[in-house]
Amino acid sequence: VSFRWVEHTGELEVELEATSERGVFEAGFEAMRELLAGGEGGAPLVVEIDLPGRDRAALLADWLAELAFLGEARGLVPDRLARLELDEDGLGATIEGREGEPPHLVKAATYHRLRFDRADGGWRARVVLDV
Amino acid sequence: MSELRRVDEVVWEIPADARPDMRVPARVFADEELLEAIADDRSLDQLQDVATLPGVVGAVLAMPDVHQGYGFPVGGIAATEPPEGVVSPGGVGYDINCGVRLLAAQFGADELGERREALVHEISRAVPAGKGTGAERGLVAPRLEDVLAEGPRALVERAGIGTSEDVELTESSGRLAGADAAALSERARSRGADQLGTLGSGNHFVELQEVDEVREPEAARTYGLREGQVTVLIHSGSRGLGHQVCTDYVKRMDASLGRHGIRLPDRQLACAPISSPEGREYLAAMAAAANFAFANRHAIAHRVRAAIARVVGQAAAEGTAQVYDVAHNVAKLERHGGRELCVHRKGATRAFPPGSEDVPERHRGAGQPVFIPGSMGTASYVLAGRPGAMARTFGTVCHGAGRRMSRTGARKRVKGAELRRELERSGVAVRSGSNRGLAEEAPFAYKDVERVVDVVERAGLAVAVARLRPIGIVKG
Repeated sequence: VSFRWVEHTGELEVELEATSERGVFEAGFEAMRELLAGGEGGAPLVVEIDLPGRDRAALLADWLAELAFLGEARGLVPDRLARLELDEDGLGATIEGREGEPPHLVKAATYHRLRFDRADGGWRARVVLDV
Repeated sequence: MSELRRVDEVVWEIPADARPDMRVPARVFADEELLEAIADDRSLDQLQDVATLPGVVGAVLAMPDVHQGYGFPVGGIAATEPPEGVVSPGGVGYDINCGVRLLAAQFGADELGERREALVHEISRAVPAGKGTGAERGLVAPRLEDVLAEGPRALVERAGIGTSEDVELTESSGRLAGADAAALSERARSRGADQLGTLGSGNHFVELQEVDEVREPEAARTYGLREGQVTVLIHSGSRGLGHQVCTDYVKRMDASLGRHGIRLPDRQLACAPISSPEGREYLAAMAAAANFAFANRHAIAHRVRAAIARVVGQAAAEGTAQVYDVAHNVAKLERHGGRELCVHRKGATRAFPPGSEDVPERHRGAGQPVFIPGSMGTASYVLAGRPGAMARTFGTVCHGAGRRMSRTGARKRVKGAELRRELERSGVAVRSGSNRGLAEEAPFAYKDVERVVDVVERAGLAVAVARLRPIGIVKG
C-alpha cells in the first residue's frame, strides 16, 4: 500500500494506492498516522471504530475524518492498525496508539474530487482534507 | 484561460455557455497579474462547477483573493433563490463563520514601547491555541444551548463577558436568526462544548498592529481609528463544532441528491432546496454554529483585554473598543434587487454601503467596516463597503490576501525557525507553538494584499480606510 501528498493551494490532497480495497483503507491510516504523529510518550490508548456505509469513496472519507476527530477529541496519536474488517456494510477497526497532543491540523475529510476506483490491477483513491 | 473575456478593467467573465451544465456566467474580479495566479490552480474550474447549482442567479463570483478550495473556491460567492434554489454546506465551508474581529486600543504603539513583546507573550498565554480548551484558562461560559441560540449576547448577559456595545458592533448583532441547537448532532455539540474562547490552528491568529496610514480620515474617525494607534485583529471561527455541522450535512445532502433530482459535477457541492427539510435544518444548524463563532471571537477578545490589563493596565483594557466583527464563511438570506436570495460567501466578506440598515448605526454613515488581513508579517487593511458591492457582488468583497502556494511548497522554501527570526528582525514579535505551521503561513505563500485591495477599490466594491502594520503575532 502507498500514499502520496499532492500539491493543493489551500488544503491537503492525498492519493492512495493498493492492490485491494482493504489496502486503500490501510494506506489512508498510514497517511493520517503521518499527520497525527508528534508528542512524546503518553498513556497507551486503544480505540474501536465502527463506520457504516456501502459507498467505498464516502466510507474512505469518513475513515480519515474519524481519525482526525479522534486526534482532536481524545488526543489519539495512532501507532498501529491492529484490526481492519471491511465488508459490504462498512468497516470495523481497532487502533492502538497513545494519548498525546497530535497536531491539530485536519478539520475534515471532504468529498471534493473524491474517488475510489479500480486502476492498473489494483485500487486507487483520492481524498482532499480541509486544513 | 481562453474562455475568459474581459468585461472591464478588473472584471473577467466565463460565459454561461462555456459548459453545458452552467446555469449562469462566472465572473472574476482581478487584474492581469492576479488573474495569472488564479488561473494557475483549479479556482476557475471550481467556480464553473458552482455555476451549475440549481436556482443560482445572476453570476457566480470570484474575489481577487480567490484560490482553489474544495467544491467552492475560497473567495467564491453564489446567490440562490428560494424556494427551489439550493443551499450548499460546502459553499459555506467547514469552519462556519470563520471571521475577523478588530479591537482598537486607546494607546499608541509608541506608548506601548518595550512592553510590546510582553503583551504578545501575555496574549499567547491568555488565548489557548491548537487543541486548547476554553475552560483551561479560567473562562466560565454559559450553557452551550444559550450560546448557540443567542451568540455573544449570552456571554454578556449570562456570564458578564464583554459588553453590549461589542455585540451591537458585530455583523448581524452576533446572532443569525433561526438557529436551532436541535439541528446539531450530538458529536457537533460535544466538539464545541469546551472550545469557546480558543483560537484553533491553521491560519487562525491574534495579531497586534499599529495603524500606520489613514486614507479616509472621516471613516477612520467613525470607526475610532487614528494613526499610531494599537489595534488587535482576531481571526478564528466555530472550531470543531462548525466542522462537524458541515461534515454531517454534506453527508446528509449527498445522500438526498437523487431524491431531489439534483446532479452535480462534484460531490462536495452536495446541496438541497432551501425549502426542503435538509435545507431548512442545515440553515438552522449553520446559524447556531455561526452564533457560536461570533461568541468564540467575543470570548477571545475578552481574553485579549485581560492580557492588556495585566501588561498595560486596567484603564487601557477598558478603553480597548471593538471596531466590528465580520464573517467570512456563511450563507445568509438577504434582499438583493428586490428578491430574497441565499447568498453563500465562502472566504468572502459582506460589505454593505453607507446608509444600509444592516450596518450598526454608529458606522452607518461610513459604510460597513471590512477587515482584510494580509499575509503574516505584511499589512492588513480596514475597508468600508461601497454601493458598487450591492450592484456587482451581492454586497460582498474579498477576505484576505489569498493563498497562492501550497503548504508543502511553503515548507520547502523556508524553515519555521528561520521565518520566525526574519519576522522578529523586521519588528514583529512571534508566538507560535509550531514551526511547521509558521512556515506554512509564510508571506510568500500568499498573494499581494495591496494588489487585492487595489482591485476591490477599482471595482467600486469598497474603499480603503486605513492600513495596519503588524507588530506582534500569536499564531494558532
